[in-house]
Amino acid sequence: MILGRSESRHQATTLIGRLFATTSGKVGAIVTLIVLLVAIFADVLAPYDPLSPIGPSLSPPTREHLMGTDALGRDLLSGVIHGARTSMVIALSVGAVAMVIGVLVGGISGYAGGRLDDILMRFTEIVQVLPRFFLAILAVAFFGPGLLTLILVLGLTSWVILARVIRAEVLSLRAREFVDSALTQGARGSRVLFREILPNAIPVGIIYLALLLAFIILIEASLGFLGLGDPNAISWGFLAGQAQQFLRVAWWLSVFPGLAITATVLGLNLLGDGLTDALGRR
Amino acid sequence: MNAGYVARRLLQLLPSIAGIVLVAFLLLQMAPGDPILALAGESGDAEYYAFMREKFGLDDSMPEQLARFASNAIRGDLGVSYTQGRPALTIIGERLGATLLLAGSALVISTIVGVLAGVIAARYAGGVRDAAITTVTLSLYAAPVFWIGQLALLFFALRLGWFPTNGMTSPSPPDTAFGQFLDLLHHLALPALVLASQQVASVSRLTRIGLVEELSTDHVRTARAKGLRESTVVWRHALRRALGPVFTVIGARIGYLFSGAVVVEIVFGWPGIGRLMLSAVQTRDGPILLGIFLLVSTAVVVANLITDLAYGTVDPRIRYR
Amino acid sequence: MSRSLFIRLAALLLVLAACTGETGATSTTVTPDDGTTTTRGEGDTTTTQDAGGPVEGGTLVVAISSDPGHLNPAITTSGGTHTASELLYNGLVELSDEGEPVPGLAEDWEITEEGRVYTFTLRDDVVWHDGTPFTADDVVFSFNEVLLQYHSRTSASVGNAVESIEAPDDTTVVFTFTEPYAPLLQQLSVTEAPIVANHVYEGSDPNENPANLEPIGTGPFRFVSYEPDSEIRLEKNPDYFKDGLPYLDEVVMRVIPEAGSQVIALEAGDVDWLWGVPGPDLERFQADDNYGLLRTGVNPGGQNCIMTVSFNLDQPMFQNRDVREALTHALDRQAFLERVLFNQGRVAEAPIHSGIGFAHGENLDMPAYDPDLAAQMLEDAGWVDQGDGTRAAQGVDGVADGTPLAFNFLHFPTFTAYGELFRSQLGEVGADVTLQPLEPPVFVETVFINRDFDTNIISFCNGTDPEIGVKRMYITSNIQPIPFSNSSAYSNENVDALFEQGAQTVDTEARSAIYQELQEILVEELPYFWIVETEGFRIHTAACTGFSASGHFAEAAWCDR
Repeated sequence: MILGRSESRHQATTLIGRLFATTSGKVGAIVTLIVLLVAIFADVLAPYDPLSPIGPSLSPPTREHLMGTDALGRDLLSGVIHGARTSMVIALSVGAVAMVIGVLVGGISGYAGGRLDDILMRFTEIVQVLPRFFLAILAVAFFGPGLLTLILVLGLTSWVILARVIRAEVLSLRAREFVDSALTQGARGSRVLFREILPNAIPVGIIYLALLLAFIILIEASLGFLGLGDPNAISWGFLAGQAQQFLRVAWWLSVFPGLAITATVLGLNLLGDGLTDALGRR
Repeated sequence: MNAGYVARRLLQLLPSIAGIVLVAFLLLQMAPGDPILALAGESGDAEYYAFMREKFGLDDSMPEQLARFASNAIRGDLGVSYTQGRPALTIIGERLGATLLLAGSALVISTIVGVLAGVIAARYAGGVRDAAITTVTLSLYAAPVFWIGQLALLFFALRLGWFPTNGMTSPSPPDTAFGQFLDLLHHLALPALVLASQQVASVSRLTRIGLVEELSTDHVRTARAKGLRESTVVWRHALRRALGPVFTVIGARIGYLFSGAVVVEIVFGWPGIGRLMLSAVQTRDGPILLGIFLLVSTAVVVANLITDLAYGTVDPRIRYR
Repeated sequence: MSRSLFIRLAALLLVLAACTGETGATSTTVTPDDGTTTTRGEGDTTTTQDAGGPVEGGTLVVAISSDPGHLNPAITTSGGTHTASELLYNGLVELSDEGEPVPGLAEDWEITEEGRVYTFTLRDDVVWHDGTPFTADDVVFSFNEVLLQYHSRTSASVGNAVESIEAPDDTTVVFTFTEPYAPLLQQLSVTEAPIVANHVYEGSDPNENPANLEPIGTGPFRFVSYEPDSEIRLEKNPDYFKDGLPYLDEVVMRVIPEAGSQVIALEAGDVDWLWGVPGPDLERFQADDNYGLLRTGVNPGGQNCIMTVSFNLDQPMFQNRDVREALTHALDRQAFLERVLFNQGRVAEAPIHSGIGFAHGENLDMPAYDPDLAAQMLEDAGWVDQGDGTRAAQGVDGVADGTPLAFNFLHFPTFTAYGELFRSQLGEVGADVTLQPLEPPVFVETVFINRDFDTNIISFCNGTDPEIGVKRMYITSNIQPIPFSNSSAYSNENVDALFEQGAQTVDTEARSAIYQELQEILVEELPYFWIVETEGFRIHTAACTGFSASGHFAEAAWCDR
């Protein structure tokens, strides 16, 4: 389904309609939207400062503390709300880095062709087999747990599929007449890339992005479990990691962050499914 | 199978592996911290550190260290572990079996369960069963594997007492070989199921998609028209073709399985390379880290190759160039 | 279709469940618990058969948190190796649970020339696990060729003071020091100076000797097998030189990294002994008669440890002692004890741990928790409230005006909870703290080599004598890249002189006075702040008893199931 520029706005409006026509798309979009809103308005929504020990130590859920408190007496609900922000910031930043690299590599590769294409695609193959989780463990353990380290390592290794998608779009569009004519009319390469090629590649990019965000959130959670989370920015992974030692005495510390992660990852996957259906890409 | 094609695919592996080794090595070199401290303990004096530093060649230049590592790696010598003073490959080899057993079992379990679930979902596509299977498998995928592991540990091992809580064997193993085998299976079951649970979704989804497509082809319609039973149509005719994609992604799944295994090994006290890696991270034991990296990435690359080559035997439509 | 799948799955589960019946279900016999279970023969525990004396035989399953890598405690101070291997070896002199020297491989000793010469008389009935008789040559070899080369604590302390170690005959070893040396008897246990066999290690590189993986010792248990990252099996040494010991037939150590998983394994009956109890679980176990607890100041990394905050005195910000005092007033140490340690320990009342009775300072003027005073002192020192809860410098020496009161706090990842409480308590008085968790090797390089930090927290283990684990933190000569030494870069001539005096004084009362004076200076100057003394709890199933806190924890243990 390759559409011309004039059709893209129309495509955007009908896409949402088609997305909400499927159950998975509806649920996924709503869950994702909720998580995004919570992340954006964390300061307003959180009842307490997530870092302040204001309550009793290890209180089970009460009216005061709907998700209970941790050992230091911090409100878990506030932690989960602010955790949404951190987790989303990490995931979206990784997505942005991956998008930029993916567009550059895929665009150049498909556009230039020939030897450069060969070299870039060989490079892509190498990056593709890098075990990202293992790399993330190494990087965080070596450079210390920091959001930036995590974003860079995951961003620099997560662009392969995007690059492939972009490259395929470029190749198929290059073969089409209207691009050729645009080129012969003297349009600049970058203009063709941004005006003609990207709009067509973006829907598939968004599907991939939803799945990537889900994957990044899971990786961040596992790093937290391994004790490699950043204590300066409360994230879901960090909360889940902290819950470890309280497994037998404070179920709430493990259950609520776990549920938040599961719901969000599920939501993002359903959104990806919905988009796939809506775009008829299956 | 075409020997030239196999050789060409094998050659394509080399740059990938070389790239991975280089990335890991650079990361190790760029990182702050000094492995000598892992080697020599926390409170030695300066003289003692100098002695150990010289002994392990940590003062050589970076290209020298990389060249030494690369040439050694070709000969199967990944250097000596800083902390244990033994060859890294020996140490990794000792743990590899446990991880392969865990990851392999999870691969088999998730493939079988995933295909079964996918077949059910495809046959009742759009129905309640389809939705239920999608929801359950996707939820299992979405939940962090350590979380599932902890819940399973608390419920099945502690509350119900069905499984042991940790390790690969009992403290007092049975005398007979068969007894020991059962003992191993008993310890393996829960961690393997947990690790597999994450992967069911991708298998069942691929199966479902492929099968739904297959079931609407002329080929299947003809089979139905001949009056064959629906189960025969599904199992004999459609599934074999639909399974192609399931096998092609096995290579990609190996990477996720190893990642998941790191976490599952820690939850269940399973003595594999995941745990070795984490302790090597804590001590910055370079040879071990580089070795595991090399191993995991090679495993992914080789698995990709094998599934690539094996694809043709499952789906005869694929022809090699 | 779906039904048959379900049946197949159910059948699979049944098969798996049936396997459990054979091995899994260990019924826990409830024995009355005597609470402490430290002293051998303390037989409150009455069973129906007899008066509760030691029972011979049985297997003890022990959880350890990390793979030891090898089993030679003489070449490393690594807690993992020591935990797993000390039962295989002995020291010349052991320490009782009260920290008193008691005979080990040496049955007697004599101190002459005002503490300069120690003469040990060895037992003549000890054999190595391979049957070779143990002699004084083994001791001399162990010290000269192994311990003083590779055991970093012993080589740094004894190694720097000793003149010679000699064996005039098979059962006599003489240590001669250049100056009187007080702490030697505290440094000869299996932890500080395990004795290895001359005939096994002679002529080889002790780091590469295959015996590190198949050790031959003199200890109560001998080596059977070692599966890396999985388990270590030891069996009773029938020729052990202590008559009648050990009682157990087997000790099996299982590697279980996660503390939470260890607790679950204990509760499921899969293991019998844990080296530590996660804080929040402690109360639950204390109330449960199925478990016994053993309280001890011995940690795997050493004993008598104090969680200590260092102020980097290279930084202008911390060079004013009033600023340091202000920050200490902002810290509620009782909260650290309750919310981080769950009361496993006590608030530190002196720079030297209360476990070293003679040296522990008394009636010191430690800064009390008083956030208002802290805020006032910061204000007076030129760190002015900006009205938004933060502070910035105004006329502070060496600090540009307007510099915010912000600094980092380095810690091991395992100490994150300390950092979080530190951050929030200091945040109350307007200090902005950033946590920086670092794995131990990186931590050491950042703090001790690059000195790239503002504050940090370290578990400084004092050991059994100030000479072992206190002096290193304060002496001027340790302001150099030595791990876990003078972290604050503190320098005071009087303090240096007093430490020197303390090491050379043999009379305990005279030493006490020296260390008292020393600690008064330290509390006045506050180069560090001593937060809490940590304490460990060992936990075991009530079916087993007779444990001790030392490395030979299971030497006299027995199980009655």
